[in-house]
Amino acid sequence: MKLFTKYSRINVLATILIFLIASAAFYIALNIVLLNQIDEDLNIEKKEIVTYVNKYHRLPENIPVKDQVINYVPVNGDTKLTYSTSDIIQPGDSISADFRQLIFGIKPANQWYKVTVSKSLEDTDNLIHSVVVISFTTILVILLSSFFINRVVLKKLWRPFYQSLATVKEFKVSKTPRLQFDPSGIEEFEFMNQTLERITKQAQAEYIALKTFSENASHEIQTPIAIIRSKLDLLIQDEQLTEQQSNTLQSAYNALQKLTKLNQSLLLLAKIENNQYEEVEKINFKIKVESKLDDFQELWQAKKIVTHSSLEEVFLKMNPELADILLNNLLSNATKHNYDGGSLSVELNKSHFKISNTSSSGMLESEKLFQRFYRPSHTKDFNGLGLSIIKQICEASGFTKTYNHLDNLHTFTISFESTPVTMNA
Amino acid sequence: MKILIVEDEKELSQSICDYLSGEQFVCEQSFDFESAIEKISLYDYSCIVLDINLPGGSGLDILKELKKENKLDGVLIVSARDSIENRVLGLNSGADDYLTKPFHLSELAARVAAIIRRKSFDGKNVIRYDELELDLSEKGLKIKDKKVELTRKEYELLLYFISNKNKVITKNAIATHLWGDDMDMLDNYDFIYTHIKNLRRKLMQAGAGDYIKSIYGMGYKFFLA
Repeated sequence: MKLFTKYSRINVLATILIFLIASAAFYIALNIVLLNQIDEDLNIEKKEIVTYVNKYHRLPENIPVKDQVINYVPVNGDTKLTYSTSDIIQPGDSISADFRQLIFGIKPANQWYKVTVSKSLEDTDNLIHSVVVISFTTILVILLSSFFINRVVLKKLWRPFYQSLATVKEFKVSKTPRLQFDPSGIEEFEFMNQTLERITKQAQAEYIALKTFSENASHEIQTPIAIIRSKLDLLIQDEQLTEQQSNTLQSAYNALQKLTKLNQSLLLLAKIENNQYEEVEKINFKIKVESKLDDFQELWQAKKIVTHSSLEEVFLKMNPELADILLNNLLSNATKHNYDGGSLSVELNKSHFKISNTSSSGMLESEKLFQRFYRPSHTKDFNGLGLSIIKQICEASGFTKTYNHLDNLHTFTISFESTPVTMNA
Repeated sequence: MKILIVEDEKELSQSICDYLSGEQFVCEQSFDFESAIEKISLYDYSCIVLDINLPGGSGLDILKELKKENKLDGVLIVSARDSIENRVLGLNSGADDYLTKPFHLSELAARVAAIIRRKSFDGKNVIRYDELELDLSEKGLKIKDKKVELTRKEYELLLYFISNKNKVITKNAIATHLWGDDMDMLDNYDFIYTHIKNLRRKLMQAGAGDYIKSIYGMGYKFFLA
């Protein structure tokens, strides 16, 4: 249940209890005091009677006084002095009422009399009644007003808490903006806010550290690679190398080349994942494709690959560096896995970019294809990250990629709309 | 000509030094920011090979210092950082060129040579080697005063060779120089062979010597036989 409800419940119960006890105590005290007052009066009456009897040696006349009754009853002996309350009917009334009585004995001549002096408690009762009603009403009013005041005040006081809650709810570790809390002026909430700020800052730092780990690792690797390459570059200058040494060096060189490429690919993937290529521009994709096709032209001529292209004017909003890398990867793959005399075709329109090529390898598995380091068993010399990079770039740019194998052609389609295009028939 | 190599990786610095030192260049090395600042204020260099990430300071501050002292030393930035922003920053700060690690030493040499040529442009932008005369502004070749037609790639290749004369250059390095990083992902270097063959033929047909020697299994070497 809500804190306020619980607090209210306890508050109200406690208050009611206290007030009840207080009221009861008050009632009893009031009763006692008023009764004492009446007893005093009764005592005064008694004194008057005793004085009269002592002076005149006979009972006084019974003058009817309002709300007061004096009874003389002859008895055989002395009567103990007692105060009591009882229900009697006053002469002249039809119903009985509460009276306070003082009973004592007196002997005017030679006869003992029991004297009962009774005073009505009606006024007293009325007074008490009024007092109780007033107190009760007061208690009620106090309870209600305190309830509402509490409600309003507490709501206001808790607002910083709910604000902090709302802020924290929006927090995503991957988002960089730091959590900001409005100062509340209340110690507990300040403390809570500071703690929240501290731990979220920590979480963000750790998250960033984790994310940049891959990127940093790749960067670190660049230096030893650079050193090895430079040493190899120096080694090959030696004219005295034997054929065998040359071969060994060449192998080492080739392996280093692959390592360099691999590291660069990993670095690229890490950077894309870390949103370092977030800036987008409106680029003329057709011109980019044409320029890439130009670059590859020589290579295709050397491999006697026949190319077809059908390009429409298309403008895309994406990061230009990523566009270059995407096209490079797609075209390189289509070239590398092609055989001499094979064919390659490229299609570009407003909805997609499609590239198809003949290949010596058979159909590739679509689901696994874009996973990192996936390599169909019969291919070689391909670092397995090229397609991953394509996948990552597509994701970063809002494109979808599909792979088909039809008529012995490998076809990769990059759709520019964010909803996936249906498979090409 | 004096070259200063500012690089904190001693092995790499040494490699560059070994490669560049020869008849043409004398190399000096600095391994940290302080010593680099000191050297540039005391001496003049034809070219400074500058690593951006240095202990004790940033290479960019060295660039600022060079500018402040109005020095004419050429600067080639070498850096592990490959982003466009870093390139632009480096070039805007006054560097003449930007090369990312890891690189081929022959590529470094070609860039240094290019910077030195640009800096010492005194009206004539021509390189002479034996009977070859390369006009850098026209990107043309003359042999024995006769013009020889070269394709763009053949011209770049010849220039690359001359900048690395007497050095063995791998096919790998040549491919990277002519087509950039992306292309040399492909192992088939036969098309490089075609270019070299054509270049050799043209040179010899024009009466120049056969400067390009094929080094078995490695690559090529350009030198005066």
